[in-house]
Amino acid sequence: MSTGIENRLHLNRRRFVTLAGGAAAALTVPAGVRSAFAQGDDVIRVGFVSPQSGPIGIFGEGDPYVLDLVRKTVAEGIEVGGKRYGVEFISKDTQSDPVRAAQMAKDLINGDKVDLMLSTSTPETVNPVADACEAAGVPSLSATSPWEAFYFGRGAKPGEPTPFKWTYHFCFGVGNFATLYADQWSKVETNRRVGVLLPSDADGNAIRGLLLPQLEKAGFTIVDAGPYENGNADFSTQINLFKSEGCEIFNTFPFPPDFAVFWRQAAQKGFAQQVKICQMAKAGLFAPELEALGSLGYGLHAGAYWHKAYPFKSSATGLSGLELADGFEAWSGKQWNQQVGATAALFDAALTALKSAANPKDKPSMAAALSGLKADTACGAIDFTGGPVPNCTPIGLVGVQWVKAKEGSKHPFELEIVSNADHPSVPLTADMTAYSVQG
Amino acid sequence: MNENARPIFTVAPRRASPAGWIAIVAVAMLAVVPLLCGGPVVDKLTTLCVYVLLAVMWNLLAGYAGLVSVGQQAFFGLGGYFALRLVEAGLPPYPALVAGAFASAGIAVPISLFLLRLRNGEFAIAMWVTAEAFRLLVMFDPLVQGETGTSLLALNAYEPDLRRNLTYWVALASMAAMTAGSYWLLCRRIGWAARAIRDDEDAAASIGIETMRVKRVIFIVAALGCALAGCIWLASAITFQPRTNFGVQWTVFMLFMVLVGGLRSFEGPIIGALLFFAVQEIFGDFGAWYLAGLGAVAVAFALYLPEGIWGALRSRTGIELMPTQVKHP
Repeated sequence: MSTGIENRLHLNRRRFVTLAGGAAAALTVPAGVRSAFAQGDDVIRVGFVSPQSGPIGIFGEGDPYVLDLVRKTVAEGIEVGGKRYGVEFISKDTQSDPVRAAQMAKDLINGDKVDLMLSTSTPETVNPVADACEAAGVPSLSATSPWEAFYFGRGAKPGEPTPFKWTYHFCFGVGNFATLYADQWSKVETNRRVGVLLPSDADGNAIRGLLLPQLEKAGFTIVDAGPYENGNADFSTQINLFKSEGCEIFNTFPFPPDFAVFWRQAAQKGFAQQVKICQMAKAGLFAPELEALGSLGYGLHAGAYWHKAYPFKSSATGLSGLELADGFEAWSGKQWNQQVGATAALFDAALTALKSAANPKDKPSMAAALSGLKADTACGAIDFTGGPVPNCTPIGLVGVQWVKAKEGSKHPFELEIVSNADHPSVPLTADMTAYSVQG
Repeated sequence: MNENARPIFTVAPRRASPAGWIAIVAVAMLAVVPLLCGGPVVDKLTTLCVYVLLAVMWNLLAGYAGLVSVGQQAFFGLGGYFALRLVEAGLPPYPALVAGAFASAGIAVPISLFLLRLRNGEFAIAMWVTAEAFRLLVMFDPLVQGETGTSLLALNAYEPDLRRNLTYWVALASMAAMTAGSYWLLCRRIGWAARAIRDDEDAAASIGIETMRVKRVIFIVAALGCALAGCIWLASAITFQPRTNFGVQWTVFMLFMVLVGGLRSFEGPIIGALLFFAVQEIFGDFGAWYLAGLGAVAVAFALYLPEGIWGALRSRTGIELMPTQVKHP
């Protein structure tokens, strides 16, 4: 009996010692490897954070595809100031969760010791990542989230010097919509009376305060139905107002699922039938949203930040717009979407910045390279020296129209570029037509 | 404690139990971690402290006082919001974070007057509604700019390592203080009164327990704990976005940790928090499957192991590290 206990104790002790030894080894070995990496100055480590699954996962659908191409481009390393560096990309999926976005950013900063952070798609992704970088003193570049939300949404104040030293962002803003709409809404004959549906959220308020006055100046009569809460299920008040005011243009910046609710009710109540231009923003970025609307979706208008007909080559992937779109369709079996090009543009800008830095492994030097970055990307040229605020630079928007795909197409909808006033070097692919309810 | 009020049951050990000493030593050891380990460890431990704090607070509410709340994110979010407002008013960030948590607990006082009249499901739903109402109110603040949110930029004034360590120490101190405080509370008359209310509120009232007062104290303490967690999280993430900080996911985390670890035991939520943290670290990269797995685990525990890990262990082995159960003399 006693020997049994002793045996057990003995075994336990031995096991404990083994376990403890193992744990100690586990703790020390990775630390050694890690410090060797951290000291090595010939590999540039770049973190990439984007939503690749979850409710806004559609934004990141093409990210693995683009990242693979970029990895191939830099497989031989890049040359900076006469020195060759390897480039390692570490990609993290936020699962559409801002909490996880912040955690992933901190893991990349503290664990992987990245030299540059990239992030893309919606304020819920880029703002937490940029905040983590700003706090830790890590250079960061991001895209695809209106620049006002990136800058003012993180505590910067208009008219004051920028509080950000490390974080840079390129994306369209309110000013781009003003230029785009003034042109796009003149493409078909209307009475220039615009029904506007804006929720009470940040985008809605920003558009109401900044864009509507500019549109009035451009000669449009604005009928604002007033703020409403996202997730609203009954839009009859707004629809009746737009109908009685005779609005032939309709513009909205909704929480995307709300648009389908509104537009179905607009069709039932006869408002959609009087509308000649239905201009969506925030909603209508991706074909599946339109497919959910069915025939009501044919002819709807929107803005786009990339299109496969963009004439710019992406240097990071080595592909043209058309090649990117075709490659993505072959890789995924799904229709191309505008974020594929925008993600490529982010890598274009990032590689240009790395190459222009005096020392890409030195964080202040990398941040300085970002602050003066001029780059040609898949979305067009960007120039951080041009403003509007020190950490942000806008890229152009094109006006697009979702049309019924031609016979024989694999997809029900096609996207045509119909207005390029805000991005003149992009060619038009079709003439804009008035919306009409079909089916 | 006066003689007339001597409880029939005794549970509170007169001197600290061995487990208590171990806990004190563990906290002391955790306090020196930043001096020995690097940033990643400190960051992870900060998150762990937030989880433990949340789990212990939810167990205090639901496990001991029978107040099943699905709206604790109200205080989590409000704490961060008040901290932001106080920093805007000129207070240094760290005092503002602690003051913000207490301000949030202050808001819990008037709320308790209304909500604690409700029971069970009604209370749970009302708490959720309250959390949503607070989120909407906070979104009206021009500082928060609706859904856009803002950031606690004042923290950037600190050097990154110092900021990380300070946040960690605040997290550790809050977690230790709130956990010890709730244990102390549970070993006192009020703790027994709370359990009596949980088991049968009318019966508790009929034997002279001031049910409203007892529930209010527990409610406010739990609000303070959740608000502290919210402030610590704000300090480590810096970003404040109303839909995130007031997100119902925080309550879901609490529920998961407490149910899996063991409702109604003091050790359970701590084990649940450790487990949840480990699962998140190991399986978090699996995306949707990870979330589905978490759900499946929660359902399995609710069906087959309703007492949680610690409850099952306790009923099998009789182990009791931090006894809060009735012991008949």
